[in-house]
Order: sequence, then C-alpha cells, then structure tokens
Amino acid sequence: MKILVIEDERELSADICEYLQLQNYRCEQAFTYDEAIAKVNAYEYDCVLLDLMLPGGQGLDVLDFLKKKRQEEGVIIISAKDSLEDKIKGLQMGADDYLAKPFHQAELAARVYSVIRRKHFKNANSISQGPLEVNLLSQEVKVNEAKISLTKKEYELLVFFMGNKNRVISKAALAEHLSGDVADMFDNHDFVYAHVKNMKKKLIAAGCPKYLETVYGVGYRWES
Amino acid sequence: MSKLLNRPLKAFIFYALGVLILSTPVYYLVVENIWFDELDENNIIVRERSKSSLGRLESMGKDTDEMLSLWNTLQPNTNLTPLTGDLPQRDSVFTVRREAQHGDYSELDRFRCLNSLIYIKGKPYLLTVETNVEEADETFVAIAGVTFVFFLVLMTGLILISRQISKKIWTSFYLTLDRLRSFSLSDQQQVQFPETDIEEFQSLHQSLTDLIDENVTAYNQQKKFIENASHELQTPIAVLRSKMDMFFQNLKITADMSKEVDAVNVSLGRISRINKNLLLLAKIENKQFAQEETLDISQILNENIEMLGDYFGAKNLNLELDIVPVLEKQGNKTLLEMVINNLLINSITHSPQEGKVRISLSKSQIVIANSGENPLDGQKIFQRFTHSPDNVSNSGLGLAIVWEACKNKGWQISYVFEEKMHVFSVNF
Repeated sequence: MKILVIEDERELSADICEYLQLQNYRCEQAFTYDEAIAKVNAYEYDCVLLDLMLPGGQGLDVLDFLKKKRQEEGVIIISAKDSLEDKIKGLQMGADDYLAKPFHQAELAARVYSVIRRKHFKNANSISQGPLEVNLLSQEVKVNEAKISLTKKEYELLVFFMGNKNRVISKAALAEHLSGDVADMFDNHDFVYAHVKNMKKKLIAAGCPKYLETVYGVGYRWES
Repeated sequence: MSKLLNRPLKAFIFYALGVLILSTPVYYLVVENIWFDELDENNIIVRERSKSSLGRLESMGKDTDEMLSLWNTLQPNTNLTPLTGDLPQRDSVFTVRREAQHGDYSELDRFRCLNSLIYIKGKPYLLTVETNVEEADETFVAIAGVTFVFFLVLMTGLILISRQISKKIWTSFYLTLDRLRSFSLSDQQQVQFPETDIEEFQSLHQSLTDLIDENVTAYNQQKKFIENASHELQTPIAVLRSKMDMFFQNLKITADMSKEVDAVNVSLGRISRINKNLLLLAKIENKQFAQEETLDISQILNENIEMLGDYFGAKNLNLELDIVPVLEKQGNKTLLEMVINNLLINSITHSPQEGKVRISLSKSQIVIANSGENPLDGQKIFQRFTHSPDNVSNSGLGLAIVWEACKNKGWQISYVFEEKMHVFSVNF
C-alpha cells in the first residue's frame, strides 16, 4: 500500500510516515504544491493525505487535479483550518475524509485504514486476526465462528485497535475517537477504561487470544 | 437630570423676572418725575395766566376783596390769600394729599402745588396753584401690571422658541445619539452621522468618526491578531501532539515517566482546547455561521446529551431530563450545537461527583442546570478567561462562546443560582 503525505510541516510529515510505515504502508512525502502535483502526476497512490495550506498553492487545487485524473486513490484532507465550508467543499470535490489538526496519529491511521479498505476490498467487508473476525458491514464480531455481542462503543474500539496494530494508543486518542471533538474539552478520560475492560473481557471469555495489552499509565497496544 | 435646553431657559426666565421686577420701581420713578416736571410747568403757566388776568382786573379798577372772592370761586385750581407777616422770598413747589370732593363723595387725592408771591395794588398775596396728580400706588400697580403681562408674553415666547429650536437644531443631535447607541464594535458597521450646518455638531461628528475609526481599527487588529496567533499555533500544537504519540511508541515507559507524560498531555490538551475555542470565537465574531436551516432542537439536544453520556457517567451525575419531543426552529446548526455543547460540558465540568444535572427544553427555552455550592458572579462568568476557583484546567472560554453565539443569533442567555443549582437558560 502506497501513501502520499502532502504536508509542509516536515516534523509532522515525518511522524505520519514513521507511524504509518510500521503498519506496513509505504510513504512518500511532498512538501510544496509543485512537489505534490509532480508526484500525483507521475505515480499512483492508494491513499493521499492532503494539507489544505501549502507553499505555492492551495490543497484544494491538488484535489481538483487528482479528481480530474480519475484515479482511484482515497484522499484524506488534514487541515489546521477546521472550517465547515472547507470540509464540505473538500468532501464535495471528492475527498473521502476530513481530519482537523491537531489529531492523534492513531486516529489518522484508523481513517487511512478505513479509506484503503473501502477502496481496495470493496467486497471483502470483514477483517480478521486469528480466530477473531469482524464484519464491517453487519458490525458482527465472531470468535471461532461464535458470535459475541459488543456494545456500539466496544465495537468501535475494537475496529480502532485493529486499524492500529502494534501501536500504543493513548486514552485521549481513544476518547476522541469515541466522543469526537468534545473529548478535547475534558481532561479526564477514565471512562475509556470501562469500555476497554468490558470489550477485553468479552473477547477473552469467547476464547480470543489476549491481543490487547495495557501500557501502564499511557494506554493500550493491540498486538498482531 | 434635566435636558440641556431647559437649563439656559430656566436661567433666562429667572433673569427676565429679575430685570422686570427691578424695572417696575425705575419706571415708576421715571414716570413720576416726568409727571411732576410737566405739572410744575403747567402750574407756572397757570400762575402767569392768573397774574395777567389779575393785572387786567386790577386795571379795570375792581374792588380787591370782591375780586378775590370772585377769583377763588371761578378758578378752583388756584387760590389767592392775602399775606401778612414774613413774606416768602421764593416760589415753592410741593405735593399734598388731602380730601377732595368728587360730586357726592370725597376721597384722598394727591395734588402738585405751586406757591407764588404776587402783588395786587401793592399788597402781597399768596397765589397757590394746584393740579391733581395720579395716586402713587395707582401708578405703581398699573406699571407692575403691565410689566407682569409682558413678562408672561416674554416667557411664553421663550418657551415656544426654545421648543422650536429643540425641534430643529437638536434633532440632529438626538439622531447622533441614537446612532451612537446602536453602534457596536463587534458589528463592524460604519456609523453615518446626520448632515448638520451647526459648526459644533459638525466638529463633534468629525471627532466621533475619528474616534470610532481608530477603535474599529484597533479592534480589528486585535481580532486579526488573535485569529492569526491561534492559526499559527495550530501547526506546532499538531506537531507536539504527534510527537507525544510517537514518544509512546519507541520507549519503554516506566510508571514515573508515565506520570510526567500524563501531565504533559493534560497541558497540551488545555493549550489545544484554548486555541480551538479562540478560533471558534473569532469565527463567530466574523459571522461565519450565518447560514440558517430548519433545526429540530430537541433532536440536537438529545444527540449531544448522548454523545456526552460517558462523561456524565464518569462523574456519576444524576441526569434529569424534561425535553419536548419535537421543536423546530430556524437557526445555524453549528452555532446551536456550540451553545448546547458548551453548556453541557460546563455542567459536567463544574458538577461535584454524584451531583445533579437538570436539562429541560420547552417551546421557547433550553435550561441546563447543575448542582453547586455557591452562586457565581453572573456579570463575569460570560467573560473570557473567567475561571471558577475550583477548576483551573478548563479553557475559560466555553461560556464566552455561548455568550457570543447567543448574541450572534439574538438569543437571550441568562444565569441564576437557585436551590443550590447553577441555572443557565437560553431563550430563543
């Protein structure tokens, strides 16, 4: 899987690449509008991460260029502007998702995972690991072919973890994934523990190996 | 407080009254003097005529006594009496008051008299000429009366004229006042002052326009500055957050380290929160949420309560809901959600553990109340960066956002503390 990161902030771009590479994605970087146009013109990507404010041009023009090429790559806009108009405009122009800065790497990885899955595995709507199988369409979770019932939040957490294998995910990132933007407004995200604990209990009771590991004081890691 | 125009009017009226009161005795004295001058002149003329008449009678060889009694009878204004003893050296002029007969009644009258010494057939006689003068009090009363009438005329005139002036000249001033009252820095509307041909008003308008322009510029610069600063901060905050995420991945984190990391994360969360809210405020002020659509307030409120369900649960808050099933209104979704969310977040953040939160929605208002110990300063809580003493980690901007959003849409936000509850109501 090849990903193009169009982002002028080099530190951020490097982090995104490092994080995604461990998920077995191949990342390329573009820092300016011209570089971005040159790269999307010359190569094909599975997913493009697009910053809206670029030196030398507008991110939305890059999106326009991409859509005119009629390629199948997924596009996720990452923007510091966080304006509803930009979001609506971007999505109308064919972007698949919109993520406002600052974001957690885990959230971005989950979105990339979801976009790529939608584009490339149109018919395979399930993801699996060992005896664990998750049907993304019906939202059914099976362990050793036996259905287990998770709450909506537990299900969302499970999919989030599976899209961020081998990475440490903080409570804050989990809370933000569950509650959206409002999570930003609180310091205490302890309620996440309860949901994770219940999910873990249900999986283990059904005979699923212990994939989820608690990283003391920080968060959790899903082992592959 | 009295109106500007009434102050000089009052002064004018008192001054006019003073002048007119003073003028009455002066008029009286002047009139009296003219009177006496004229009467004295008249008395002298009478005396001269009498002298020549008496001279003619004398030359006709009439008897003196007979002539005297005839004279005194025919000329009631004059009187001739023979003089004995000391003869007066000069003529004398004086005023007397005595009873005078008017037909069948008599009254006290004033007379101006002239005593002259004349000789008839070598004998000295005293010729007295007297003329009736108007009584002093009658003159005075007449003058005072006329003065008073003129005073009334003057006053009526002054009041009418000043009203007229007020209508004409001050309209422009009151218009200016109205324009100033309706001016608001955040509205960014130009103030157009009325045309005027009065120099002072013109210069007032000029000064006000300059002052307003300066303030608008300063306000815009400040707004732009906050907006730019928070935009510029977005990227470093994003990098910091990303770095923290990466930091977890590569290190074996010990318990001690995790505490520090947690503290960094909390502070980072706070910076990001403040920055986000500042950007939101700038957007509200820039009227970026003008689009209106039909909203089901009930649905939006329920959705947001559900979204925050975990946070209500984390504090074990007792949630009392009284929400009408459907309530459709025109409005901007983002703004409405901002108001609802910030009030809900506020109620969670400031409730004690196991506290109570009451949320109700009726046809015209949303009420969100949470339990608390002491009332807050209702004047200050909607200002930016007003922190409650018990919680320093919130952004201090949530209620300011609510305030701005409500102001933007013309909704009324109010706060009261009753029955140990902080009650926030939004009327729309």
